Amino acid sequence: MTHEATSTVVTEVACPLCGHACDDLSVDTAGAALAVVAHGCDRAVSGFARLGAGSTAATPRIAGRPATLDEACAEAARLLAASAQPVFGGMALDVSGARGAMELVDRAGGVIDHMNNEFGWRASRVVQDGGGINTTLAEVKNRADLILLVGTDAVSAQPRFFERCVWVKETMFDLQPASRRIVYLGGGLDTQPGHSPDGRGPDVFDFEPGRMPEALSVLNALVAQQPVAGDAPLGIALARWQALADALLGARYSVVVWAGPAFEVSQLDLNVGAIVSLVRRLNVTTRCNSLPLAGNDGDLSMGAVHTWQTGYPMRTSYASGAPKFDPLHNGIDRLLANGEADALVWLSSLNDLQSPPATGVPTIVIAPPSLKLAAEPQVYIPVATPGMHHTGHFVRTDKVVTLPLQALRRSALPAAGEVAVAIATRLKEVQS
Amino acid sequence: MNVIKLTGGRVIDPANGVDDQVRDLYIRDGRLIAAPDANDRISAEYNISGRIVMSGAIDMHSHIGGGKVNIAREMLPEDHRGDPVERTELTRSSCGHAAPGTLAAGYRYAEMGYTAAFEPALLPINARQAHMEMGDTPMLDTGGYAMLGSDDFLLRMLAAKEDQQAINDYVAWTLHATQTVGIKVVNPGAISAFKFNQRKLDLDEQNAFYGITPREIVKVLSRAVHDLGVAKPLHVHASNLGVPGNVDTTLGTMDAAEGLPVHLTHIQFHSYGTEGERKFSSAAARIAEAINQKKNVSADVGQILFGQTVTASGDNMVQYRNAGHGSPKKSVIMDIECDAGCGVVPFKYKDQNFVNALQWAIGLEIFLMVDDPWRIFLTTDHPNGAPFTTYPHLIKLLMDRSFRNAMLDTINPDARAMSNLAGLDREYSLYEIAIMTRAGPAKLIGLADRGHLAPGAAADIVVYKEDADRERMFEKPELVFKDGELVVRDGRIVKVVRGGTHAVKPEFDIGIEKKIKPYFERFHSVRMNNFKISDDELCECGGGSKLIAHACRKRG
Repeated sequence: MTHEATSTVVTEVACPLCGHACDDLSVDTAGAALAVVAHGCDRAVSGFARLGAGSTAATPRIAGRPATLDEACAEAARLLAASAQPVFGGMALDVSGARGAMELVDRAGGVIDHMNNEFGWRASRVVQDGGGINTTLAEVKNRADLILLVGTDAVSAQPRFFERCVWVKETMFDLQPASRRIVYLGGGLDTQPGHSPDGRGPDVFDFEPGRMPEALSVLNALVAQQPVAGDAPLGIALARWQALADALLGARYSVVVWAGPAFEVSQLDLNVGAIVSLVRRLNVTTRCNSLPLAGNDGDLSMGAVHTWQTGYPMRTSYASGAPKFDPLHNGIDRLLANGEADALVWLSSLNDLQSPPATGVPTIVIAPPSLKLAAEPQVYIPVATPGMHHTGHFVRTDKVVTLPLQALRRSALPAAGEVAVAIATRLKEVQS
Repeated sequence: MNVIKLTGGRVIDPANGVDDQVRDLYIRDGRLIAAPDANDRISAEYNISGRIVMSGAIDMHSHIGGGKVNIAREMLPEDHRGDPVERTELTRSSCGHAAPGTLAAGYRYAEMGYTAAFEPALLPINARQAHMEMGDTPMLDTGGYAMLGSDDFLLRMLAAKEDQQAINDYVAWTLHATQTVGIKVVNPGAISAFKFNQRKLDLDEQNAFYGITPREIVKVLSRAVHDLGVAKPLHVHASNLGVPGNVDTTLGTMDAAEGLPVHLTHIQFHSYGTEGERKFSSAAARIAEAINQKKNVSADVGQILFGQTVTASGDNMVQYRNAGHGSPKKSVIMDIECDAGCGVVPFKYKDQNFVNALQWAIGLEIFLMVDDPWRIFLTTDHPNGAPFTTYPHLIKLLMDRSFRNAMLDTINPDARAMSNLAGLDREYSLYEIAIMTRAGPAKLIGLADRGHLAPGAAADIVVYKEDADRERMFEKPELVFKDGELVVRDGRIVKVVRGGTHAVKPEFDIGIEKKIKPYFERFHSVRMNNFKISDDELCECGGGSKLIAHACRKRG
């Protein structure tokens, strides 16, 4: 293995394949596929290989027949003009794709939702209801003396979390990384990465994941010095719970890690709200922050652009001519299921594994050629991937750091954002 | 070439000493010219006789982009619902009152005659996002002040007693890496201190880990900015924001610059005494007197105006402390990358609340007691004191004493009794307003071709219909030109344009990267090369905005 820059190996490459956005990859651009030759997790290695193919014979299609890009954009515009309520899903895009998509959604009077937003909008609602106290990856890396993982093992969402943020060689301050205390709350997790380099195992509170609200209540009560009923909440000795509460109160800088998709959907607000309460309580006397893990499939990139341009998070409708945010109404799965949408645009440049939902409505798919489609859409436009074929920007899990994405090799395919703008331009012509 | 002529306007151009003189203005290729030459033809003429003409307004301190602003937007759907911006054939849809979307912000600024705005708290690690948000703010030129002073690298340098030259190199490197036009320090050292669980940090109190005081930070950073030849003086959000009695800290912070140029921002929030039954009083007179005496000091006011807004600050320590006063009661507090922090707390200023009413009066007292309009700037610290859309109302308060006194009569009577506002007869002139909102900010930031109307200046021009009601006059100019293009007519956007991004390019020893690169690899979560924003990337972040680079002449 090498990670030296050579004529074909590019170093310090940022990866858009999960929300962690590692930026230390070395990628060899010589072969037919892009080969991650250093610092790649499995997801990065397979993703660069799959999405990063150089030459591709893929062309746009209209009803299954090859078409030019112009023809496909014109047909997409025609379908959108004919639609009373188009919906936009997928949205696995970087910032440049998101910017283009926003022009189209606004022009088309669409409803916009992200493939991960069943969790995302609920997490947003907790922020809208109460807020939170959050931190970022470099703070975790340098300060966290106790990391409490709530319902998530972190690595399922972001494979290199422990490698990059926890078991590092040194910190800025007087904290020895190997001395960190790792605690998992909830069962069914991969706790192996939580072992310290010197072999110390993590503390695992193993219980059925659906009982997370109960577990967080116990912890909140103990941290607030309130009584808890029973000797063994969730089958775990009260003394262990008490020891965890004491450890949180005694830590100098604890971090509570959570991930929306790791919770049962119906419990998400409840759990995140309980985490916010716990963190707030701990900050009365010491420092404690939460770290939500998100950003996969560009959900935070798309979300950030949507929010800064219009003011609202996604699940917003542009049908009336002004943005209307209603996350309960504007879930596109619900709109499609209820027959309230009559066209679907599926935009994705980062995810080639999740197919658009099967619907009876005219569908336009703008996605990488490696995406396998269950059914042929009315319009299909293959696109390049940011960070592989063209430059772009990607918002990381903490919503603070945006990584620059490199163009590692040229592609004949257009970027998703360019396609969206081209369709918007055509749509403007059709409408006027 | 084609020339646009503005005929017969009453020109107010303080940078060139022009006060209400009837002049014709000529625009060619985006710039003002003295007169057309033989090869020119007048392609458009606007008869603006009787109209007031000023250069485009410049907001030198407005939170328009970056992570904390986007948190504020996400947090406040209730803020946006009543304030939609509908899409038109020309413009996109957006919304928001206190925390508007970038599109709404750009359109509204332009409709009020603003042609530039500067984000004053750009976290270096969040610089890309801030530039992307500003790039998506149409109509305006933008720029940012990079936040230093709680970043580990600087504090480590200070603790190691590295020399001023090394610090200058680091500051210059930061300006290049973040593509910014100035340096800001927020509650010096205290954002870091809060992460070590310190809950306050006075001017001469040490950060628990580094042993460095806020005074030392202000001293070395004001020196660095000066030595590098950056026009914009160090932008200082002083210690102890909002704390009764903080006037002494504020005066001490002015002195910490040791005579070098220093700008105290949103100084209203730092001008409090402890007199009276409630131990909260106006110290505006002491602050104004200090500004009047110390010619190295400038300030913007950060006026509060009554109503709902949201406070968004890099000062996580103070925002955490104030979170309980939030209305609606919610807040987001963040520690950020061993670099900075932020805090977002919605706030409703109430005219019958003693503290809020006195804050309102204190801001106005400062405006009226500072003699030199070149060193005091019209801001509400958008959105912290009020949204920028309240500027026309604020201008009326400054220009119209009877209106001001009528407002004063309606506020909390105890606050009124503790303010000397009723005794302040001053009314700002149009000339002084033009200084505070155009010529002054351009001079302070070092924008040689903005903020004035002499030949060679960029043709950012605003034409107002004279109106005794100054709020009505300033909220809806008749014509706004941006770089020579008519972009607003009768308060409505007629053309959407994309502004440029101002950034300074001081000279420095690139050898500093030999220290910074391994530091990033050891301690940070990104590589140095992925932290730095190149000129090309800046334009991409800006969605195609042009870089407006400013050279600096070293003074060190």
